[in-house]
Amino acid sequence: MGKIVGIPKALLYYNFYPMWKTFFEELGAEVITSSNTCKKIVDDGVKSCVDETCLPVKTFVGHVIDLKEKGVDYIFIPRVVSIEKRRYLCSKFLGLPDLVKNLVTDLPEIIDMKIDYYRGDDTMKKEILKVGKIFVNNSKKIYDAYLKSIEMQKKFESIMRKGLSNTEAIKAIEENSVDVKLNGNLKIALLAHSYDIMDDYICMGIIDRLRNMGANVFTTCMLDRDKIELGASKLQKDLFWTYGRDILGAGKYFIENRDIDGVISVSAFGCGPDSLTDDLLERDYKRDGKIPYMSLTIDEHTGEAGITTRLEAFIDLLRWRKGEITI
Amino acid sequence: MKITYPHMGSLNMILKTMFEGINIEVVEPPPVTSKTLSIGVKYSPEFACLPYKINLGNFIEALEKGADTIIMLGGVGPCRFGYYGQVQKETLIDLGYDFKMIILDPPHGRLIDFLKDLSGYFPGVYWKDALKTFIFAVQKMIAADNLEKHLLILRAHEDKIGVTTKIYEKYVEGLKYAKNKKELDYIYREGVEKIKQNANVKRDIQLKVALVGEIYLMLEPFSNMDICKSLNELGIEVTKTDYLSDYLINSAFKLPQKLEFKRYAHGYLERDIGGHGLNTVANTVKYAEKNYDGIIQIFPFTCTPEIVAESIIAKISGDKNIPVMSLSYDEKTGEAGYQTRLEAFKDLLERQKINALK
Repeated sequence: MGKIVGIPKALLYYNFYPMWKTFFEELGAEVITSSNTCKKIVDDGVKSCVDETCLPVKTFVGHVIDLKEKGVDYIFIPRVVSIEKRRYLCSKFLGLPDLVKNLVTDLPEIIDMKIDYYRGDDTMKKEILKVGKIFVNNSKKIYDAYLKSIEMQKKFESIMRKGLSNTEAIKAIEENSVDVKLNGNLKIALLAHSYDIMDDYICMGIIDRLRNMGANVFTTCMLDRDKIELGASKLQKDLFWTYGRDILGAGKYFIENRDIDGVISVSAFGCGPDSLTDDLLERDYKRDGKIPYMSLTIDEHTGEAGITTRLEAFIDLLRWRKGEITI
Repeated sequence: MKITYPHMGSLNMILKTMFEGINIEVVEPPPVTSKTLSIGVKYSPEFACLPYKINLGNFIEALEKGADTIIMLGGVGPCRFGYYGQVQKETLIDLGYDFKMIILDPPHGRLIDFLKDLSGYFPGVYWKDALKTFIFAVQKMIAADNLEKHLLILRAHEDKIGVTTKIYEKYVEGLKYAKNKKELDYIYREGVEKIKQNANVKRDIQLKVALVGEIYLMLEPFSNMDICKSLNELGIEVTKTDYLSDYLINSAFKLPQKLEFKRYAHGYLERDIGGHGLNTVANTVKYAEKNYDGIIQIFPFTCTPEIVAESIIAKISGDKNIPVMSLSYDEKTGEAGYQTRLEAFKDLLERQKINALK
């Protein structure tokens, strides 16, 4: 068996895991992930990080510690600067490997591949070779692995567009089948970063909760790109954060399109980028006045009861507006 | 057209000089006070950072004073400062103000292009005139920054507490109204001289602290509760690692300072992460190697680049054996709490220095 590469089940795991896994496996490595988020993982993260760090990053650090304890040979912590031309991700992704290395001691070797498409040039080529050479000394094989991983990413994204969440799409790829109940009669847009809503521990399974209350849930990953682009084209100045722009684009699309009963935005306590984008979105929904909008903030102290109560109240409001219930 | 802009340290002095130099009426935003802040807080997103909230307060106070055009800088990320203007504009529209907002994205490379862009908003003004008045404004800024550099060392040695601050304020005001370069140089030299005359206290244990962190917090004394003054009055010499002139020069040109930062930060933070995160890490290493006694990081609560930097400089503190303290500020920050922490930090530095001497 080859060397073991550990991938933390947090942050961009939800957006790229199938791709990353394919890349490493094609190179002959064995890939494992950290365990599902649990109290210990969050506690480990909270203890290692400075107070003001956001919950998703604290959780990520907890997952790195979990992988360290599992005894992997490498931990994959990419420095994801940009995943498309002229746009960035949040600052924390730009410094993530540095942050982890300075917070956690005695780590196995970190693969801190730089992923940067900001200029759209071929700087990626060098990074791919650099990382590939850790496993095989064969450039052709490395490029092939990269191409396969890109194919996998396309497949992964197309599965999500059918209405599956990121986690469900990962499961669909790994197990070749997945059973998802999509028969609610309310349509709710859940606008948030994947890492804020996909981790069932930190967001208390918000998607399934909503589905069980009779809602069909739409996340930015489930929407067609052209819908998001259409919404984003209404921005006065293009937004320089990829995921923030997706959220705003989707939000603006629904205002115009009206094919939705309500919008819930979720963000982590103290999230810098969301503080501005959520404000813009909420302002748009208030001005429009037609579609109910609710925002939820999560952190390591968030209680299940609080989330449930607010979701139930919101669903009741939507049903009342549809005339399904009376007060 | 009655133009206004946000406060940021000596920015007011520069912009006023510049716009009045090209015959544009300026409505100076009233000085930042707790009223400015509470107005800003009331209409800002909860987790927006302190500079955002103060800026918004500045705009509202200036619009109430009769301004009709707001000049604001933009940006291309990843720091959220680049999108402040857009959100503030929507907020002010919802509040019912009638105004025009000019958001200038930072120049990519050439300062002249930037000024040409700027003069595009002001028909009838030639960019050559604008350039001339801009150069004088920059000279004022450099004089003000240098005067402050002297202040932050010499005030730690003042004979009578509080006197130096008064002298300094008087001369900064003088710089603001200087009409030409000659007058400017004269006021600057006299200001330095007067500050020196009042600085005769010598200590056996003299502490030196470098202030690192986010630029707005560094430049706008209201936002950091005048931490430099508090430190000076505890007898500590302070070096501020960022000035407006550095900021302007760095964002206007592709600069060697960036390379210097990368070199210092190497091994801790390998690239620019937006905002002043890289500067903070690099300056912490730089001043630790210059044998400063301590480092204080200041930044607005929820500032992502600085939170990443905070996580990293804790490690530098151990590696380089230099005490580091991080202070984050928001509208709920109480002054007494911070004063206590500064005093405790001073005690720690003093003890460390005495032990080192033994």
